[in-house]
Amino acid sequence: MVAAAGLLLCGFLAAHLLGNLLMFAGGGAFNAYAEALEHNPLLPLAEIGLVALFVLHIILSVRATVINRAARPEGYRVYRGKGARTPGSRTMALTGTLILVFIVVHVATFKFDLGGLKGPDLYGHVLGWFANPWYAAFYVLAVGGVGLHLSHGAQSAIQTFGVSHPRYTPLLKTAGLGFAFLIFLGFASLPVYFGFVQKRQACCTGGAHS
Amino acid sequence: MNITLKVWRQKNADAPGALVEYNVAGVVPEMSFLEMLDALNERLVAEGQDPVAFDSDCREGICGMCDLVIDGQAHGPDKEATTCQLHMRRYRDGDVVTVEPFRAKAFPIVKDLCVDRSAFDRVQAAGGFVSINTGNAVDGNAILIPHDEAEKAMDAAACIGCGACVAACPNASAMLFVAAKVSQYALLPQGRPEREKRVLAMREAMDQEGFGHCTNEYECEAACPKGIKVSNIARLNREYLRAALTSD
Repeated sequence: MVAAAGLLLCGFLAAHLLGNLLMFAGGGAFNAYAEALEHNPLLPLAEIGLVALFVLHIILSVRATVINRAARPEGYRVYRGKGARTPGSRTMALTGTLILVFIVVHVATFKFDLGGLKGPDLYGHVLGWFANPWYAAFYVLAVGGVGLHLSHGAQSAIQTFGVSHPRYTPLLKTAGLGFAFLIFLGFASLPVYFGFVQKRQACCTGGAHS
Repeated sequence: MNITLKVWRQKNADAPGALVEYNVAGVVPEMSFLEMLDALNERLVAEGQDPVAFDSDCREGICGMCDLVIDGQAHGPDKEATTCQLHMRRYRDGDVVTVEPFRAKAFPIVKDLCVDRSAFDRVQAAGGFVSINTGNAVDGNAILIPHDEAEKAMDAAACIGCGACVAACPNASAMLFVAAKVSQYALLPQGRPEREKRVLAMREAMDQEGFGHCTNEYECEAACPKGIKVSNIARLNREYLRAALTSD
């Protein structure tokens, strides 16, 4: 169930990223996309589904973690293992918590307009937040957490569903890593470009926003 | 050579334990790790002290009885080897080596380095068998089995039930053990009539014993002295899904 919810959330991430990348196409295209999404009558339903997926994923993961900690009441004085764990697998709880904190901040600032930066359009609203270097840096850090989380989560879900083939499973696992990296790269590109690169260009060359 | 050991000493299941330091002199490279512990114990007995309790039986890597965590690695640093197959040529004079028991709620410590692994027996008894009428030996060629399937089943059946997978797992999960046992039957026609019942019962028994959940870290595969692959865990997950969806 953790894996199933996780994979569905990956689908959301991919769709969300594609929508966000419209920012590179300029304010008009991005705002039109946001408008269309907001006026879609199915949006509340999708939002409820999304929240349900997150809640399911979080509750079941926390439950499993509690059981797993209890399964070894007294830890090893020395624990080294044999090198199978990855940076992603070691930090699932940490990155998971980071992502949760980020989502709360993200939804509070962009959807419920905490901080009051909402302008006439969403494009300007987002740029307003990315202009804050702390916010932009936190955004990059958080999507880095998402990437790290997925680097373990994607291949882990494949295994949990019992997919195992001598040739295709390694390919799928590589694809999972690639997906994690692309999600990180895609989401991080927005605050990096709009928060740092474009701002510097604007200040140093006198160029205007598109 | 001289080896300094830090050994977990614990009087019984309820007593608190601690690492105790021992110097073992006169260790030769040809000694196995267990023979080095034997040498330590002979000295302790001669000095009138309580010897270090540890498990071993065949001492040739096939019984699954020896079970130490050496410097944080189940069965020590070698790949696909049991503790008894680890030799002192791996170490240098003056090395400090920490020796601990397998740690899991499902494997309570009996004394020092000995743990009770009967949880595995109970999981196995829950479904790790084939119900057939014994009697005259049947014709060996009556049931044809493709060679590659037989090989996969034999690879799974190589599991000696030592518990290193549990010891190495960050969650003390027994998935690799159960996966090997479920796989060896699921792959063969003789095991198929009871496949749903088996996987459900063994998974249930595994959770009952207090093993953790699998989070696909694969430390089990890295620690397994018999090279049992995590593809067996994928098969266990498939078998479980199949049984959960189809059995009544």
